[in-house]
Amino acid sequence: MDVKELKALLRLMEGNDVEELEVEEGGRRVRIRRRTAPTAMAPPAALAPPTAARPGALSAGSLVTTTAPEAAGLIPVESPMVGTFYRAPAPGAEPYVKEGDLVEKGSILCIIEAMKLMNEIEAEVRGRIAKILVENAQPVEFGQTLFLLEPA
Amino acid sequence: MFSKLLIANRGEIAVRVIRACRELGVRTVAVHSQADTDALHVQLADEAVCIGPPPASQSYLQVARIMSAAEITGAEAIHPGYGFLAENPHFAEVCEACGIRFVGPPSQSIQLMGDKAGARRMAAAHGTPVLPGSEEPVRDLEEARGLAREIGFPLIVKASAGGGGKGMRVVSEPEGLEPALAMAGAEAAAAFGNAAVYLERYLPDPRHVEIQVVLDTQGHGIHLGERDCSIQRRHQKLLEESPSPALTPALREAMGEAALRVARAAGYQNAGTVEFLLDGDGHFYFMEMNTRIQVEHPVTEMVTGVDLVKTQLRIAAGEPLPLSQAGVSVRGHSLECRINAEDPDRFLPSPGKVSNVRFPGGPGIRVDSHAYIGYLIPPFYDSLLAKLIVHGDDRAEAISRMQRALDEMVVEGIQTTVPFHQKVLRHPEFLAGRTSTRFLERLLSEH
Repeated sequence: MDVKELKALLRLMEGNDVEELEVEEGGRRVRIRRRTAPTAMAPPAALAPPTAARPGALSAGSLVTTTAPEAAGLIPVESPMVGTFYRAPAPGAEPYVKEGDLVEKGSILCIIEAMKLMNEIEAEVRGRIAKILVENAQPVEFGQTLFLLEPA
Repeated sequence: MFSKLLIANRGEIAVRVIRACRELGVRTVAVHSQADTDALHVQLADEAVCIGPPPASQSYLQVARIMSAAEITGAEAIHPGYGFLAENPHFAEVCEACGIRFVGPPSQSIQLMGDKAGARRMAAAHGTPVLPGSEEPVRDLEEARGLAREIGFPLIVKASAGGGGKGMRVVSEPEGLEPALAMAGAEAAAAFGNAAVYLERYLPDPRHVEIQVVLDTQGHGIHLGERDCSIQRRHQKLLEESPSPALTPALREAMGEAALRVARAAGYQNAGTVEFLLDGDGHFYFMEMNTRIQVEHPVTEMVTGVDLVKTQLRIAAGEPLPLSQAGVSVRGHSLECRINAEDPDRFLPSPGKVSNVRFPGGPGIRVDSHAYIGYLIPPFYDSLLAKLIVHGDDRAEAISRMQRALDEMVVEGIQTTVPFHQKVLRHPEFLAGRTSTRFLERLLSEH
């Protein structure tokens, strides 16, 4: 299976919101699992737990966005802390960035508030904001993808 | 009762706390490192927050991130489990300052009992026997020599800020004192950031017997009997039982009262354990107090019928102890085997994928574990995989039940210490109830 076929499979999965796909062809087998946040494996027989709805990160109240698989070249900006994501320096102010904006290395992209302290999150590379994956005032966890940057 | 609680831990104890919360109608928040995204505690909790990369220092020990996780999820209380931040007075203080209830004792109690030399002094001052030893940490070699003459040999040099078997050296004669002081001090400085050491008489082959205490916020306190944890390897407990074959009812009562005296002196609240050494003549000596829920708590739960974790939650929520000392009774006998993901002969860690697991069942069997088929054991944390606990009407039945349970237990894909426990459960000294802290040393040298 070549890279083109793999890419096609990935697009197929994304387009149909499929998390895991296994393909066997002519004695070769490929299993692809998309990195969604968080993964929950089906509880297996050994424990026979009472299956409740699987826990989502930060539960029903907030939006859990499925991170898209890293399509060619997009760089994820991940949260370095646990806290609340804000798009602007203050309520009512203009957001730091919008989709399509060009940012420099060191540009402030957003604020993450943790324990009443505002932390400015900076871009590590020069690039264009391809996608903003979280909403204003959304709780975020460590490692959660906030933005996708197209390097410029 | 809280409406939401965050568990600042992982593995089997996080699962244990979540279970107690479930039964009390408390919603749960799991925190996890990136290595624990598929962990059972994450699956079972109502909400989950990733708090860092795999190493504990960057995740489970990150106070700020844990507090942040409590803030964004609206958790009202935090249960610290055991290990990690459970006995960190700073963490308890931060919770108190943030208005989040810490399920455990006040931070000052943690601080007091965390100073091992200070805890000894406190116990002695309250009529609890301690081994002959130095009142204060030792200032210099000169002082140490003088003390050693009073204490007698063999003695042990121990870290004041220590625990877990680190920063300790046994000295059999006066010539060994100087090097032991130097080495223990260096180890203590490295492990605990504090080189202070104290001296204590060393008992050659004692039993390790600990008393479970529980105190509420209204001054009521009880003890729930003892656990005999003599079977240890390098100061790590491997097998525990209750009651202890060495205790008479009179001794139990005396030790229980001594334990409560120490706990009260420290202003203790919630569940805690006072550790003693017991010599062959029925004398007991205070060692230290553990200001947390312990790994081996299920053994006490099985013989007393008291759910210790639910009790912890209730006390933290301000409820009074529902039980009086007279209401505590010990029924039957319980054993616990700690099943570690380790090579059963050399005890080297065996991380990897659990390709199959089948836990034993039937009457009198309890398994506390976070393992499941397909679980990938991360190499960053301790190797405890499951606690296999049995209860029987007497010690003989408990033993035969544990033998059956160990034989039924199947774990594939990694190595476990099940074969090691099977050996112990067949050993004549163990069967006769004659174990002591050097039992394991003897058993291992027999091969």
